[in-house]
Amino acid sequence: MATFPLHTNFDGDFVVQLVPVDSDDIMDTVAEKCAYHTVGRRVSPQPEKVMRVRKHGVEEFYPRDMKVSDSDLRPTETIDIIFADE
Amino acid sequence: MALLDRSDWYDLTRTTNWTQKYVTEDEFFPEALSGGRGIPNSVWETYDEPYKVSYPEYVETQRAKDAGTYSVKAALERAAFVDSADPGWVSTMQAHYGAIPLGEYVASIGEARMTRFSRAPGNRNMATFGMMDENRHTQLQLFFPHANIKRSPRWDWAHKALRTNEWAAVASRSLFDDIITSRDAISTAIMLTFAFETGFTNMQFLGLAADAAETGDHTFASLISSIQTDESRHSQQGGPALKILLENGRQEEAQQLIDVAIWRSWKLFSVLTGPIMDYYTPVEGRQQSFKEFMFEFIVAQFERQLLDLGLSKPWYWDILMRDLDRTHHSMHMGVWYWRPTVWWKPAAGVDPEQREWLEMKYPGWNKCWGKVWDVITDNLLNGRESLTLPETLPTICNMCNLPIAHVPGDGWDGRDWQLEHEGRIYHFGSEVDRWCFTINPEQYKGHQTVVDRFLAGLIQPATLEGALKYMGLGPEEMGIDAHDYSWIEKFRPTKSAAA
Repeated sequence: MATFPLHTNFDGDFVVQLVPVDSDDIMDTVAEKCAYHTVGRRVSPQPEKVMRVRKHGVEEFYPRDMKVSDSDLRPTETIDIIFADE
Repeated sequence: MALLDRSDWYDLTRTTNWTQKYVTEDEFFPEALSGGRGIPNSVWETYDEPYKVSYPEYVETQRAKDAGTYSVKAALERAAFVDSADPGWVSTMQAHYGAIPLGEYVASIGEARMTRFSRAPGNRNMATFGMMDENRHTQLQLFFPHANIKRSPRWDWAHKALRTNEWAAVASRSLFDDIITSRDAISTAIMLTFAFETGFTNMQFLGLAADAAETGDHTFASLISSIQTDESRHSQQGGPALKILLENGRQEEAQQLIDVAIWRSWKLFSVLTGPIMDYYTPVEGRQQSFKEFMFEFIVAQFERQLLDLGLSKPWYWDILMRDLDRTHHSMHMGVWYWRPTVWWKPAAGVDPEQREWLEMKYPGWNKCWGKVWDVITDNLLNGRESLTLPETLPTICNMCNLPIAHVPGDGWDGRDWQLEHEGRIYHFGSEVDRWCFTINPEQYKGHQTVVDRFLAGLIQPATLEGALKYMGLGPEEMGIDAHDYSWIEKFRPTKSAAA
């Protein structure tokens, strides 16, 4: 369990932001922590959608229950948070 | 005794090269400072400056300019324009005065480098006057805001800003260090005078002067137009230097110096001048949009000059043309949202009338930036100010030191141009910022952005409050909305009518 800084590129937002997550966080938690700094502040909520996480520039999302420490992410890398259907 | 015409003696007296007896040529003109590039002195002596002036002529002209500018200030001071000016315009002046005067002093150092170390005598002569020009600009732009310190400590940032770790100050220093203080004399002539001063100072000193006059700020208009008359003279030092490089097989290097300097200057102006022209200045005072000024002073001018010299437009010209519609809107949004981190009070500039103007000048604005402002406006209308203030830091570009920003809303194109170099992950706001790094990593790789410093534990406590303290911003200096959110009231009737 350790702080894991990531840069987050959020669907519809205008800026990439620094968001510290925890290495034990699963991807759904990562998405929530990133959303805290964007959704309802500059981007409207989309309750019918799911917020999915992917490595920046990669098409495929990480599994929603995958831990950060089990992914190929490295500290200070950039991730995308995308509103998806599932 | 009759005086000779200047043209009868000028070329002879300014050719001051001689053969050194006590030091070697390389000691006299160290390559790192001179940048002679192995081109013989006899060739550098052909440097032909297009604007020739003698010292007595220079002094006479400058004295008259100073007399005029100081007279306008003295005459209008009692009118206390600043007390009745729109708060958005006051912010314009505070942002300008914080960002510019010490940058002018840095330019004076660049001119001094050319004065001493350029191998071209004509360059040395012209730079002597340029050095004095920049000193004058520093003095003027420190003196004028000083009169307003009694009104707010924000005016003191004319002296303070560039000595702090405030993020915009770091971005300014990064640009000036790259194109001025870390370069040899010839590179400085090209990057500072040709690339930066030829076009971009026109934006700040002529474009903004037009807006100042429209707004009724005749003191500021007179000040910055007076400065621009110097800029238009000493900016001509780069052209003859480029000519010599091109005639001596250095085209690729010359093009690269220009391409880097134009891009880096553009990025700084996108956060400084873009918001001022399209958001802070009251609509009735806007003579043209930022994009229109950019086309007039940058695009047209550089396209003509580069082609005339036998150079090409920068490889990224199409990207720049696209970004003229985009970058400064996102930079403005970042400055406003992270407003506690700046020394001026950003004007949102997005009431219904202003949004109409933005949509007219930038079709599609409402579907992109407008969507974000809709959320912000709704939060303010419903008393949720806390959601319009930041709780983390934006990711900062490792080249321009500005937020990595892009088009939001329907046109979302979020992208971080990452690069791993020697095991470190770098972040860039554009393909061009990343290119600047890749062609010269030794120049840039050691620099840490404010976010890098935060992550390295250099900012304590490691909170937004700690970052504000690190940036030197006291409670009376941190930015707040320029109009204290009064602009949101213009949205209430519309909402009631809809209900």
